[in-house]
Amino acid sequence: MQLASSNQTSRLDGLTLGILSLGVVGAGVGFFMAMTAPPDQSQGFVARIFHLHVPMAWMAYLASFAALGYSVAYLVRRKPHHDRVAAATVEVGLIFMALALLTGMLWARPTWGVYWDWEPRLTTTAILFAIYVGYVVVRGAIEDPELRAKAAAGVAILGSINVPISYMSVRWWRSLHQTQSIDLTTGKINVDAAILIPMLVNLAAFTLLFIGLVRLRSIIAAREAAREEV
Amino acid sequence: MQRIFWLAWRDLILEFRGRTGILSAVFFLAVMLFILAMAFGPNPQDLQKAAPGVLWVALAFAGSLLAGRAFGLEVEDGTLDDLLLTPGSREWIYFGKLLFQFALLLVVGLALLFLTAGLFYLPVQNAGWYLLVLLLGSLGYAAISTFYAGMLARLRGREVLLPLLLFPLVIPVVLAAVRFTQGLAEGVPVAELSDWLRLLLVFDIIYVTVCAMVFPYMLEG
Repeated sequence: MQLASSNQTSRLDGLTLGILSLGVVGAGVGFFMAMTAPPDQSQGFVARIFHLHVPMAWMAYLASFAALGYSVAYLVRRKPHHDRVAAATVEVGLIFMALALLTGMLWARPTWGVYWDWEPRLTTTAILFAIYVGYVVVRGAIEDPELRAKAAAGVAILGSINVPISYMSVRWWRSLHQTQSIDLTTGKINVDAAILIPMLVNLAAFTLLFIGLVRLRSIIAAREAAREEV
Repeated sequence: MQRIFWLAWRDLILEFRGRTGILSAVFFLAVMLFILAMAFGPNPQDLQKAAPGVLWVALAFAGSLLAGRAFGLEVEDGTLDDLLLTPGSREWIYFGKLLFQFALLLVVGLALLFLTAGLFYLPVQNAGWYLLVLLLGSLGYAAISTFYAGMLARLRGREVLLPLLLFPLVIPVVLAAVRFTQGLAEGVPVAELSDWLRLLLVFDIIYVTVCAMVFPYMLEG
């Protein structure tokens, strides 16, 4: 019974492959559009890294929300599937977070003159990165699958709640960053359409990639779990 | 409700009778402050400037040393199962251990405050505000350290894992507490600093609530 149900989720389905390939194609198209977009008024061609940096940072925070949701779902429903998806979102999110930090640093050097600055979004992302590294380490340290799932869910829930608090605390502490491209609180858009459209294409492509990668990772995890049970 | 106090009281009695834990933490702190004071140089102005940061970083380290004490004895003596077998909900175990950790941190924090006032010339005229920030900061720290200590209680590598999980989460506490203490030391009016206290308060409320809600799930098995 248990085996049959885990076999079902461990099948590599067409949907996952479709999402992944659409994401890869979309990322290619987005890259082309970003490279042909007009240069920024003040920053010139350097600003094009923004087409990679913003979607990556967006993925990182999407991962944090998804991990929170699936972790709560696991604690309530106790389905191993939720735990596997939560772990997958954290792992994929960790990669995007590292890339966002890296592209951010590469961008900061020519524009701000330094690789690192104690800016709220940057610092919050770094803190979140440390929390998720802890998440992965905890998963590696606990062998019992149920105990591991519960502990991981606890870490993910506490960590995701921390995001707004650490953001506010660092923001009061110190500030300097590009204004947000899309202000979520007022819905105001601060970017010209010629740059906005490629960015939205990139955003969509990266979101598809994220979903595809998470699905792929949970399928692999399901297969691993099924093998351990046999 | 009474169980919470009895659990915390029992742990405190055991801790003070055992003495090793709290004494080693206090001496570790004294040595650490001594080294830090040497690092920041004999100039009183430099020391005074570094004092708030030193105070809270030292307390954070001490807290991670003491966090293992919350469940260490339970696991050693095999009494954790007895605790889990008691009827009723399990939030009270969390609150009891939280109270114990909180009390322990307060004792260490007070000792630390005296030491920094002495070694680092931290001016402590308005002691009431220092106590308030110590209370709020320790509570926030204890809320998270107790949660993780319980979660990792039976794990072998917990001494390494605990600080790794703990420190990123308590950054807002340390940051807010350091800023508030620094403002106090520099004589900034408290009204201008009240944002930091509010942040600490919000952090405490959110984390004590969430940890108490999630903690029962962490203990089974």
